[in-house]
Amino acid sequence: MAGRQFMAILRKDLIRELRTREMLVSMFLFVMLALVIFHYAFGVDTDADLTYFTGGMLWVTFIFSALLGLNRSFAQEKDEQCLDGLLLCPVDRVTIFFAKTSGNLVFLLIIQAVSVPVFTLFFIERSYLADLGLFVLVLLLADLGICTLGTLLATISMSTRARDLLLPIVFLPLIVPVLIAATSATTAIFADGADLGGLAARLGFLAAFDAVFMIAAYGTYDFAIGE
Amino acid sequence: MVKKLTSAPALFAAAGAFLVTGLLLAFLYAPIDVSSMGFSQKIFYYHAPIAETALVAFGIAFVAAILYLRDPDPKWDRLGYVSVRLGLLFSLLVMATGMIWGKAAWDAWWAWEPRLTTFLIVCFLYAAYFVLRQVVEEESRRATFAAVFAIVAFIDVPITFFATRYMPEGLHPVVITAGDTGMEGSMFLSFMISMAGMTLLLAALVRSEVAAERLKDEIDDLKIRIGG
Amino acid sequence: MSIEEGAKFVAAAYAIILAVVIAYYAMSARRVSGLQRDVDLLKQEVERREAAGSGD
Repeated sequence: MAGRQFMAILRKDLIRELRTREMLVSMFLFVMLALVIFHYAFGVDTDADLTYFTGGMLWVTFIFSALLGLNRSFAQEKDEQCLDGLLLCPVDRVTIFFAKTSGNLVFLLIIQAVSVPVFTLFFIERSYLADLGLFVLVLLLADLGICTLGTLLATISMSTRARDLLLPIVFLPLIVPVLIAATSATTAIFADGADLGGLAARLGFLAAFDAVFMIAAYGTYDFAIGE
Repeated sequence: MVKKLTSAPALFAAAGAFLVTGLLLAFLYAPIDVSSMGFSQKIFYYHAPIAETALVAFGIAFVAAILYLRDPDPKWDRLGYVSVRLGLLFSLLVMATGMIWGKAAWDAWWAWEPRLTTFLIVCFLYAAYFVLRQVVEEESRRATFAAVFAIVAFIDVPITFFATRYMPEGLHPVVITAGDTGMEGSMFLSFMISMAGMTLLLAALVRSEVAAERLKDEIDDLKIRIGG
Repeated sequence: MSIEEGAKFVAAAYAIILAVVIAYYAMSARRVSGLQRDVDLLKQEVERREAAGSGD
């Protein structure tokens, strides 16, 4: 039963966005512009080798892009009162949470799939195809943390007066550990190549982060979503 | 009798006694650290207890948040709010003393070392708690959201410490940890007494601040009674 | 770093702690006494109005 409800909510969100593609396009444009800005921010007067910055650039961009997406999708919900409608149905609040998190995860992955090749084109000299699987794993684990925390906090912040202004303030301090781990792992992959053993600690950390906050969200989402 | 013993004035007195004793012990009894830091190591006797106490304060807020979500009594929200505020205050003090110690020990006002970095993030984290409270108008919703955030934030604190300590690889030549100070008996005693003093100070401040918040709520209620 | 120089930093650190704690406590005490005064005033007002209301 919960599974069907989950799929229903997820499908609704996906279909709605895929029909208009407003949010996806905005997120994508943001990422592209950010990359160009990074080039000028770091390299105008120097011929600096940005290899060891690549992980950081990528994840900073993805995190801010995720914030954009979260704000947008929840603002739509709020304006069209979808959430209120959903709450009237006998759906378990937690199911709503997992459905929304999954939806946000899908959107983030779509954006990443499109922008990573461009990023590679702009900034990366070495081929990291050999480590592609590892890279995707890092993406998935970090994205899960971002979307879990992001969905929980966006639900709260959308119900406040400040709406989308609040989300970055509450979200960014909490996501720092993910940023650290993901950046470190990604830079390792881009710069020198890495293997599962070398990245095991960071991947394990990301997985633990995801698990811990999924449990926390599971426990508190009832309250986050309000009456 | 217990009420008397744990009243704010009593706690303040006890805190003062322990803190002064700890200070005297630190300077008169414990030896000067002969390792790299020399005399500036003495800052540690208050710096570390303050850090510990800040974390205790956030822990209190964590528990208060859980209790509030289970039973929405305003007293838990008051306790949480006061604890976070005091925790933030102590965290700022940790940063201040940490930076002074850093300047004295490594001749640098700032270093991206685990403790300073973690407390910096902690400050931003709990500052966000207050921003969150500010933008929610309705009281019970404000308390609920604040509780959720206090829970999530506290879980993130050890995670952040772990991340800043173990992940940036090999970039920190200056890493001073509590373990490095290798405390022997006399140092340990001074340290523990200061620690007890700081914790008592926190308890005293929590006590009096919670009472103040209760007064504020009482005023709001009275105003409603008069106005309505 | 000699003991004198070290001592300056140590003194600065403890002085800041003392100053902040005392300042916080002083601000807090002032706020509490103000609040207590307000509570007393409001309580008097409430009693006055209830007396006036029931005295009619």
